[in-house]
Amino acid sequence: MRNTRKVKIQKVKMQKLKSKCKSFFNTFNFLLVFLTFTFLLLTSKPLLAVSMESSRFRIESANTSSAAGNKSSDNYKLSDTIGQLAAGEFSSTGYVIKAGFQYLHSIIPFRFSISDINIALGTLTPNTSSTATTVLSVYFGGAGQYQVTAIEEGALKTLSGNSVPDTSCDGGAETCSESQAKTWSSSTAYGFGYNMSGNDVPADFISGTQYRPFPDRTAAESPVVIMSSSDVGKNRQSTMTFKANISPIQPAGSYQTIINFVATPSF
Amino acid sequence: MTNKQINFKFLNFKYLFVVFAYLVICLFGYLREANAQQVNLSITPPLLELVIKPGKSIMVAYRVENFGDPVILTAKLVNFEPKDNLGNIRLKDDFTGPVRFSLDNADLQLDQPFFLKTGDSQQLLLRIRLPEGAPAGDYYYTLLAETTPPNTTEGIGSARSRASIGSNILITVTDSGVVEVKPKIVLFSTIGGLAFVRDLRIYDSFDKIPLVFMVENKGKNMIKPEGQISLKGNFGEETKYDIIPKNILSQSQRLIEATPSSQLVTSHQQPVTLILSGFFIGLYRLSTQVTFGENSPTVFASTSFFAFPFKLIAGLVTVIVITILIIKKFSKNSDEDS
Repeated sequence: MRNTRKVKIQKVKMQKLKSKCKSFFNTFNFLLVFLTFTFLLLTSKPLLAVSMESSRFRIESANTSSAAGNKSSDNYKLSDTIGQLAAGEFSSTGYVIKAGFQYLHSIIPFRFSISDINIALGTLTPNTSSTATTVLSVYFGGAGQYQVTAIEEGALKTLSGNSVPDTSCDGGAETCSESQAKTWSSSTAYGFGYNMSGNDVPADFISGTQYRPFPDRTAAESPVVIMSSSDVGKNRQSTMTFKANISPIQPAGSYQTIINFVATPSF
Repeated sequence: MTNKQINFKFLNFKYLFVVFAYLVICLFGYLREANAQQVNLSITPPLLELVIKPGKSIMVAYRVENFGDPVILTAKLVNFEPKDNLGNIRLKDDFTGPVRFSLDNADLQLDQPFFLKTGDSQQLLLRIRLPEGAPAGDYYYTLLAETTPPNTTEGIGSARSRASIGSNILITVTDSGVVEVKPKIVLFSTIGGLAFVRDLRIYDSFDKIPLVFMVENKGKNMIKPEGQISLKGNFGEETKYDIIPKNILSQSQRLIEATPSSQLVTSHQQPVTLILSGFFIGLYRLSTQVTFGENSPTVFASTSFFAFPFKLIAGLVTVIVITILIIKKFSKNSDEDS
């Protein structure tokens, strides 16, 4: 009798244990699937494919080498290279055209990037400098020179027209201009300007305290070169630091401006 | 409620808490990467050269690729002019010239915004048309792909950026196919060193000798120099440096670059054509012979420099003098001792 009871108790215990285990593994499996799914969902990157398209067709495929070479008909001759659209030399009656990397013998396409196009200077506090940075990168492989220029589309100002003037740095001997950086470290020197550091930047940016004001398009000023080089290179990087410092009498408001960056290769 | 039910609910709460915490971590980790709005564009081809008759039109396929965040772009054309003699350009705000541009894409137009998602690219089928009777000459343009600045952020100071990437278009309009080639060498000289005699500079044998070679295009059409720079020593040795063919636009000057190994000269403080390095001794003659395509005039220039190991000789003389002085002093001391 006792043995039978013990066996029964053991069986019940085993069943309870099995049930607990089953419940645990069901929950565990669910969690595993759920977490894996969310992880994949959050970390997946968009699939990049080379696409060829016009207004009338779209072909998505990898690069093919079958397209390269010379083609001709009665009316035209065409030489092209794969992976370089519009490359080659094209001649026909009435015009001669030379274009692309086959002609320039370059393997690095011209590319320009800005790491952050919305430069938040935060809440501007009188006599306290607000700074923010963005990284400019250029890929350049053509023969010649590349340049990146910058100009502001008006001063840093509110919708009601109150504006922060462009900086003249610390003043006196340290008065900066659109083409000459000078020291700007005084907390009572007010304005808006920028500093550059990294590859291919103007030589007058000696240290992190050297600033220039942006040229102003509304004042009929010309864009200034902020990066320039004849080096063939990938990922030429520079950091632009924006700085604003306002006076205690500066009216409160959301001060905004647009900085226009233009990257062009040489000719 | 039984203990079992309470335990089950507690277990569920625990799992929910773990899931919630995990999602929060993932979300914050993910947000940190995507917070800054990035622009990353490329354009091909970066340069287009076209010689065309009035009354003709051609179509060129450009490709703009977006490697950054989704972006609204506008394709536009502006004139440019050479800014300096290094190949930099100055974009003009107004559009002038007889050349007519349009896009052959059915769904796109110049100066009209279009959307480009991350990793996507857009082919721009640029139609270039020269009307009949367009005056002969050169016309220079830049095709720009320009982004739309992000929306304003209220309550804070901010500088929003508009990014543009450009590709230059050099158009020569000619009815006969003949272009005007009028080059002039404005400078072919070494810099630095000492200039005791006109046109002859003197350097130390170990100095790096920079050469500046500038050509002016006085014609109506752009030209492209081809040729070599030759360095001849007084013992008959000769080295040749190939000139990199770069466009010299109409009515402008350009610094010519030459290279022995396809490496551009960039290490010197000011832009130069070539930096000669090595051990030089005696009189050297630098000369160049440049052509500008078939049936074009050839232009010549030459200059000379003299090199001598002044620093080495000065160092040797100093060492010898000091040695003699030391020997004399020691011999004097030993004489006094004896």
